[in-house]
Amino acid sequence: MPGQTQDSARTDSVKPRESPLALGVRVILRKRSSRVALFVLGVIVLIGVLAPLIAPYDPSAQPDIVAAKDLPPSIAHPFGTDPYSRDVLSRVIYGARLSLMIGILATLVSLTFGVAYGATAGYAGGVIDAIMMRFLDALLSIPRLLLLLGVLVAWPHLSIGSLIVFLGLTGWFGLSRIVRGQVLALKHAEFVTAAEALGASRRRILVRHLLPNLVSPIVVAATLGIAHVIVLEAGLSYLGIGVPQPLASWGNIIYDGADQIARLWWMSLFPGLFMVTTVMTLNVLGESLRDVYERR
Amino acid sequence: MLRYIARRLGQAAVIVAIVAAITFALIHLAPGDPFSAILDNPNVSEKVRATLRAQYGLDRPLAEQFVRYVNALAHGELGWSFSHDRPVREVLSSALPNTLLLMSVALVGSFALGILIALFQVARKSTAIDQTLSAITLFFFSMPDFWLGILALLAFTYWLPIFPVGGAVDPVMHEFLGLGGRIMDRLRHLALPALTLTVLASATVARFQRAALLDVLPADYVRTARLKGLTERQVLRRHVLRNALLPIITLIGLSFPALLTGAFFIEKIFAWPGMGYAVVNAIGARDYPLVVGGVIIGSILVTLGSLLADLLYAWADPRLRAH
Repeated sequence: MPGQTQDSARTDSVKPRESPLALGVRVILRKRSSRVALFVLGVIVLIGVLAPLIAPYDPSAQPDIVAAKDLPPSIAHPFGTDPYSRDVLSRVIYGARLSLMIGILATLVSLTFGVAYGATAGYAGGVIDAIMMRFLDALLSIPRLLLLLGVLVAWPHLSIGSLIVFLGLTGWFGLSRIVRGQVLALKHAEFVTAAEALGASRRRILVRHLLPNLVSPIVVAATLGIAHVIVLEAGLSYLGIGVPQPLASWGNIIYDGADQIARLWWMSLFPGLFMVTTVMTLNVLGESLRDVYERR
Repeated sequence: MLRYIARRLGQAAVIVAIVAAITFALIHLAPGDPFSAILDNPNVSEKVRATLRAQYGLDRPLAEQFVRYVNALAHGELGWSFSHDRPVREVLSSALPNTLLLMSVALVGSFALGILIALFQVARKSTAIDQTLSAITLFFFSMPDFWLGILALLAFTYWLPIFPVGGAVDPVMHEFLGLGGRIMDRLRHLALPALTLTVLASATVARFQRAALLDVLPADYVRTARLKGLTERQVLRRHVLRNALLPIITLIGLSFPALLTGAFFIEKIFAWPGMGYAVVNAIGARDYPLVVGGVIIGSILVTLGSLLADLLYAWADPRLRAH
């Protein structure tokens, strides 16, 4: 049983190595900046999760398209209303839900592809690896936004689901390079040789022995990846080819006020503030995790 | 060195070929074709569409179309822009200089500003100023390009009307100005978009360069320099900065995609008549050939940028120069 051999070897050592996840949590809680970031992010996630309970209005209701449109911030509408008379605060709250959800789901797609591709290339080695890496170089040299522009203009009126898939499919290139490097480095490590000698299958070696060593780069890539997707989705929605109407995402709200930026300033200011705050917290968390993992 | 350059050039060519294949796949995987998308007009009969398809070779086998596509690309032909009623090549080549101007001003500006901020921070390592600056650069680093563009537009053209609202020149007065006046007019229009892109990009440079400087600080030769009695300023400038500049060259190559996408948004917001402005408007007009042309040219720019950075790196690093 290769798995058991590994486990007993680990318990034999004097000081068991802390798991990357436990280490990450400990470091985040120890540093003040990342503790604050975690708290703020938690609040925003909570706002998104509880959106139906918190939002004062229905985010897509258009109560009075003539009298209640384009209202500046007031007590009834703290973030004002948009050209369709919808309440911007409610839309920003629902936007938190949608933007975070898109960020998380698209990043899951990216992680799956990145790990599968990188691990395959690294483990296969030789010609296969070389071809796979050249292909990756080409993908990396198309700016992600441009690639998405090409895709989204070719497939107009995409559903949210397909948008998420495309966002995910254009986000795994960097991670797969890191994964490939790690797998390449660990391929001839003693514990892998031992597993091979015990007759473990390639699949088992990859899943049971190599993948657990990739947890740290994956966690970092996921955190920074979500931030990246949120910005990208907002950018695409701002160009009018991201999240379809009447759904509210942060970029979408800004898009609705984009042709009258000066008159409807509240429509770009408030969703943008939420977006920057979210992205900042994710970046702080991702970078503190990376610092720890790299130092080890 | 020559062999390295040749190999690197070969790699760049392979990358451009794969990019061409990917864009070709994109075009043909998409539902419909240019003629079902552009001519949404019920008055256009199926027969006319078929004729148009035959004219553009869309009825041929895929393999043949691909060969023709690559051949056309190699000759600089990017197809026909429906919204401009001109070849895509012409539309993009008249817009490209404006984009390159914006990008190069921002590239130079952001590296100068970013390196200065990083040096300033490292000289005051772990003080309150250092931490404040880190927070500020993180803030700008986390900021979506288009949002900073919108804020800059709001702040400096509407609330504090210092700069003109958009465009590359004054639409009315430019023709009537003398040479000096024209140059001033151009600069006034360039200032805000270029500044916005510079601020965005310099946040990345500052964060990266600060880390690179801190990596060099514990080196033995830095301690030696200090023990020789050099001032902290001399140590930083002559020994730390010089060694931390190599990673900066790598960053130049890496920053091209960000600069280019940044330029796309900034151009849209400030109506700066560059490639991004043309492509973003083409999205609204569903002018697919122009969008794809922009994707191809953009990717080639990025590939050239990273090629240039690699060659610069090989030239700057004496350890690589020897090979």
